[in-house]
Amino acid sequence: MDLLLATSDLREVVAPTPVSDLPGRPRGIQGVMIYQGEFLPVLAWGDLPGCEATPGLPVAMAVLRPRLALPIERLIGMISPASDAWQEADEGDARDAWLGGVCQAGDLPLPLVDPDRLIALLQRLRGDR
Amino acid sequence: MDPSFDDVWAECEDLFVQARQTLASMKEAQPAHVAQASVNNLFRTTHTLKGMAGMLGFPHFSRAAHRLEDIFDLMRKGRLRSTDSLVETLEAGMLALESGLAGLRRGRPEPEDYLHDLRRPLGELEALARPAEGGTQDLTSMLDLPADLLKSLSEYERTRVTALLVSGMPIQGVTVCLPYATFDERLRSFSEVLGRQGELISTLPLDAPEGRNGLSFLLMAACPALDPASLGALDDELLGTALLADPSRLPTSLRQEEPLVTIAEPAPEASAPAPANLPAGPTQEVEIIRLPAHRLEALEARLMEVGQLRDAASLLLKQAQGASGERPASLLAQMEDGLLEVQKSLLQMRMVKVDSLFKRIEPMVKSLSRDMGKPVKLTFQGGDLELERSLLGRLSEPFLHLVRNALDHGVEAPSERLAHGKSEVGSLRISASQRGRNLRFDIRDDGRGFDLERIEARGIQLGILRAGQTHSPERLHRLTLEPGFTTQDRVSQISGRGVGMDVVRSEIEAQGGEIHLSSEAKRGSLIRLSIPLSRAVVSCLKVRCAGQSFGIPLGSVIRVQAGKQALFGGDQVDVLGLSLPMESLQACLGLPEPRGQRAFVVLGQQAAAARSVQVALGVDEILGRGEVLLRSLPELAHSAGIMGGSAQAEGILWVVDPEAMLGLAMNSLMRRVARA
Repeated sequence: MDLLLATSDLREVVAPTPVSDLPGRPRGIQGVMIYQGEFLPVLAWGDLPGCEATPGLPVAMAVLRPRLALPIERLIGMISPASDAWQEADEGDARDAWLGGVCQAGDLPLPLVDPDRLIALLQRLRGDR
Repeated sequence: MDPSFDDVWAECEDLFVQARQTLASMKEAQPAHVAQASVNNLFRTTHTLKGMAGMLGFPHFSRAAHRLEDIFDLMRKGRLRSTDSLVETLEAGMLALESGLAGLRRGRPEPEDYLHDLRRPLGELEALARPAEGGTQDLTSMLDLPADLLKSLSEYERTRVTALLVSGMPIQGVTVCLPYATFDERLRSFSEVLGRQGELISTLPLDAPEGRNGLSFLLMAACPALDPASLGALDDELLGTALLADPSRLPTSLRQEEPLVTIAEPAPEASAPAPANLPAGPTQEVEIIRLPAHRLEALEARLMEVGQLRDAASLLLKQAQGASGERPASLLAQMEDGLLEVQKSLLQMRMVKVDSLFKRIEPMVKSLSRDMGKPVKLTFQGGDLELERSLLGRLSEPFLHLVRNALDHGVEAPSERLAHGKSEVGSLRISASQRGRNLRFDIRDDGRGFDLERIEARGIQLGILRAGQTHSPERLHRLTLEPGFTTQDRVSQISGRGVGMDVVRSEIEAQGGEIHLSSEAKRGSLIRLSIPLSRAVVSCLKVRCAGQSFGIPLGSVIRVQAGKQALFGGDQVDVLGLSLPMESLQACLGLPEPRGQRAFVVLGQQAAAARSVQVALGVDEILGRGEVLLRSLPELAHSAGIMGGSAQAEGILWVVDPEAMLGLAMNSLMRRVARA
């Protein structure tokens, strides 16, 4: 799935680091990696609604400001979308719980990850456990 | 808060630490000159604090510091005797300033009077030191000095000379002529030597002898006798010594049985030789290097990266090693030990002893106990444990509030205690213990306990509770932590202190901690605070399960035992004649069930009685024991039964939370029973 990450939400993008499995891991968290000397939770994409886990190793880790690492399969590039290119996610889209809208880049609709909604979702998933 | 003042704040904090240590030392036996040096230090400290508060724009703080400075001035002039009670009042005063400063730094408004609670004892002290009708005594005329030199003595020097002569101490003079090039260094050397032998009162400039280039000085010191050889003067420094005033010439009516400054000091013997090796001063000078915390964090992060490189090298070595692999493996093991040592040292830089917190509490308890007329036996336990320096500042105020409450509302007056068949003296026990990565504080008193009926009635009155419903003691205890919940008495007791139980709770919870209250009517109360440390060094039993390494804190390990045959979750195992239920670590953590295990660890509640819950925790392999640097998991990655992890050569070692693990094991065993 191609996604947009706002650069303002990113701490940095780092080379893939081994992810340690967390015994009895909470839903939504695959494990932890060591980042700047501390444990950093790594997202389990497959646990998110409307998302499937993809096999294979990530090419990079996007470290979000709220201290969460997102494994990335490929880095496509950067865009600066016009303000009128944005629209709400489709009603009934399961991904709505963690998206901040969809950007129409040419013919391609690119969903934007909303870190705040994503963190809130992860906390809900923990509570449901 | 203006960051450019960070250094000023930090220096103020340092000054308070030094003042605390100095005041504590004044309660021990000290030679008079050391005691005098302590008082002088404290006078300078309060003077500096006063100036700094002015710089930061806090006039009330400055005024309060000035008031304490005046008390220290009275002490150093010998107009106030140093007694334990006086020192405790001053400790309470310094503590009030310190707490006030912490509040200001957090943006709280400046209180009108920091020393409000101490107004009575301070007023008494000031009245006591007021000179009697007819002015103060001055015995400086006894000094064998020219009139112009006598005139140049300051008020402080005059009062010291008088006090020391009255106390029976001779005043000695040392004259030296020092070359221009090195006079400051040499003068310092003479002053230090004299300071070690007695009390240096004054350094006065003299005219140089005719035909000599250089600077001449008269050093005036109080000490029983002077040994010129001990001063270390050089041949051309024209050393001269003289007895300036002999206390035996003092009229008997002016002589004092004991010295004015009575800090648990053995009476000096006039005929005794000058002590050669007296302690150098009230506290040992320790160089303190201040550095921004982020530099320490960057160093730690870099160290962690080096650790990761070590892990990668270790992995490559394992893959590539043949018969010659032993030597590099041993080097890596040494590197790992070294890294752990460096990490521990870094950790220690961030830590302070819990005793520092206790030392802040002790004077306040003594002062309150005296003021309230409630004698209390105060005991501390666990002062050697360590907590993060940043936590110390944040915990002080909540702690002081809890202790104040225990004394105010918990411990009864002696008559009431006697009527209840209790000892007249109350008991307040404060203990600290480490539970995994948590530091636990227990504050126990043997007072009347929480008045649950009154709390319930107040809860109903405030509309928080419903009348006619049953409310558990736990619920009622927790109610006292709710914002805005007060009983009428509490309003009067807490007013002016700027902090209530809800603030205590929010401060503890802001640190990720928990507060738990319990009490028994007429038997006492227990307030338990559990504060997580972001990192800690934990001694662990290392085990392997499901291909992963785990550490079990040794404090909770009762026994390690091998089974005679393969064991499975739900089995009963025999441990020294006791039959214990066994559950696998995998089942507790929700991992796939193992196919039988041959080793287990008996896990029990830390520091609990023998009858407490014990479970045999099945593991695949026992790896040994060792210390690990535990790092906490971020909230999003919190996992039941795991308190944190430690980076090791073979990957992350997960450190289990023993108490949570006991609960998980019991749950898992009950599920097995339910399924059967």
